[in-house]
Amino acid sequence: MDVALSKNGARLLRLFFIVVVAFLYAPIVILLIFSFNKSAVPTFPLSGFTLHWYRAFLANSEIRGALETSAIIAALSSAGAVVLGVLASIALTRHRFRIKPAVSALLLSPLVIPYVVFGISLLLLFHTLGVPRSLLTVVIGHIVISLPYTILVLVPRLDQIDVSLEEAAFDLGASRLRTFRSITLPLILPAVVSAFLIAFTTSFDEYAVASFVVGTRVTFPIYLYSALRFPSQLPQVIAVAVVVLVLSLAVVVAAEVGRRFVERRFVALESSG
Amino acid sequence: MAIADAGSSSQRAFRPRRLRLDLTTPTLLGLPLAWLGVFFLVPIAIVAAYSFDVYSLDPGPHGFTLTAWHDFLHSSVYLALFWKSVKLSLTVSAIIVVLAYPLAYYLALSGTKRKYILLLLLIAPFLTSYLLRVLAWKVILGNQGVVNTFLFWTGLRSPDHPLSQLLYSRFAVMLVLGYIWLPFVALPIFVSLESLDRRLLEAASDLGASRLQAFRRVTLPLSLPGVVAAFLFVFIPTLGEFVTPSLVGGTSGYLYGNQIVDLFGTGFPDWETGSVLAIFLLGVVAVLTVVFARFLQPRQVVAD
Repeated sequence: MDVALSKNGARLLRLFFIVVVAFLYAPIVILLIFSFNKSAVPTFPLSGFTLHWYRAFLANSEIRGALETSAIIAALSSAGAVVLGVLASIALTRHRFRIKPAVSALLLSPLVIPYVVFGISLLLLFHTLGVPRSLLTVVIGHIVISLPYTILVLVPRLDQIDVSLEEAAFDLGASRLRTFRSITLPLILPAVVSAFLIAFTTSFDEYAVASFVVGTRVTFPIYLYSALRFPSQLPQVIAVAVVVLVLSLAVVVAAEVGRRFVERRFVALESSG
Repeated sequence: MAIADAGSSSQRAFRPRRLRLDLTTPTLLGLPLAWLGVFFLVPIAIVAAYSFDVYSLDPGPHGFTLTAWHDFLHSSVYLALFWKSVKLSLTVSAIIVVLAYPLAYYLALSGTKRKYILLLLLIAPFLTSYLLRVLAWKVILGNQGVVNTFLFWTGLRSPDHPLSQLLYSRFAVMLVLGYIWLPFVALPIFVSLESLDRRLLEAASDLGASRLQAFRRVTLPLSLPGVVAAFLFVFIPTLGEFVTPSLVGGTSGYLYGNQIVDLFGTGFPDWETGSVLAIFLLGVVAVLTVVFARFLQPRQVVAD
């Protein structure tokens, strides 16, 4: 007898699970359906199949510009966050120092700050310093937001790898930097990649903080937000939404599957010696 | 990056054989901490200073004053709005924790072989665009939206009387926030159930406990830290939420976060009052975080 669940209980829970997953994916599926619908407003009944909205958004320079701006910001900020995250994670896992709990609390605190508060704080800072709002001010904010996520991905991986490998390299005369480059970095590379991807998707989708510090070049979420308030171009927006949703789902799944696969191989290699 | 501690080889030989393989602690932590100092702590300090009128971008004399704080604590408008946000966030968090628990239970304890695939299936929507998922609900709930036009089309409702309270209402805000956070909430509960030692349940069963008793006396108490963490993971970010309410909330879904944004907006800006509201929200969140820190701690990070 199973102690946690009866047969019927398991069936009931499975049914519930299926219903909830259906609820979670239904809105996405509805967007998908209406992105191919002829009518300019997303209403029933469906009025026929078209690829018009996909062509329209590809030709829409406003949408393309916003996507490009977001991609640049996401690339820069995730690179920055990963560099800072690697430095901090190594200190947290390899070093002993007295104020470690305080340091790690500070490093993770951007996780809990309400974004509206952080947004206005940055706005006031840039006002005070007289820094004009631009692409760079958004990058600065996104690095702060993404940093704790990179640490949460990197620290467990650094804890996993056998420190005696680093010790050995060090004993054999490698410098600290050399040890990092040829031993530590290759071992944590899968985690570095997934930290980068998490930071990238976080930034690419971030609206709240960006809305306060964005310059004249709007990001994709900012464009979306204004398009949502004044839905004149709704079908095109739905089409681009579908493309972005499907792409981000694919990236997320690929990153997770890839990380598991690579790490399992590493573990196998390490244990086989 | 320069290696600050590239000492001479003789120094290295005398170094105690303690594990310090990489760069020194200050070199490693310098950049991340400086970044957070300048772009995270200082900005918050500026807002705090603003709220006490110690500092202002407006010309004119300034000095420490509690006026804005006094006005805030005695204003019925702002505090009422804050309680409205608290109640809404509490309700949403409670509902989705209750919904997520059986999901996590199923994944962790039903013995299904594909639990990680199913978990990924559940979590994946959370990892996609936030705004796009709000967009989907706007398309679905509007007066001329998917639900209403479907009802018109099937004749269940006349086009003159759409279900108008679907969108731009408190209900819409709660539905969309619940939809957005539900997958994420299942995660900490799953982790706590997953680490549950099944032998405890077997022992309970051997001692004559029914499944329900075993659940109430063993499983539920042991998974409580995950439940608390899940609750806070939703409550904290939704408390200051302004994006979803401004898109689907209308006037009845207007929340505390929207008020902060509007005080810094273009209409009738009042940065001093806005700063007070912001710092108050931050204080509440900080207190919650500290009080419940042991539930929120990502396990390994602080481990020495």
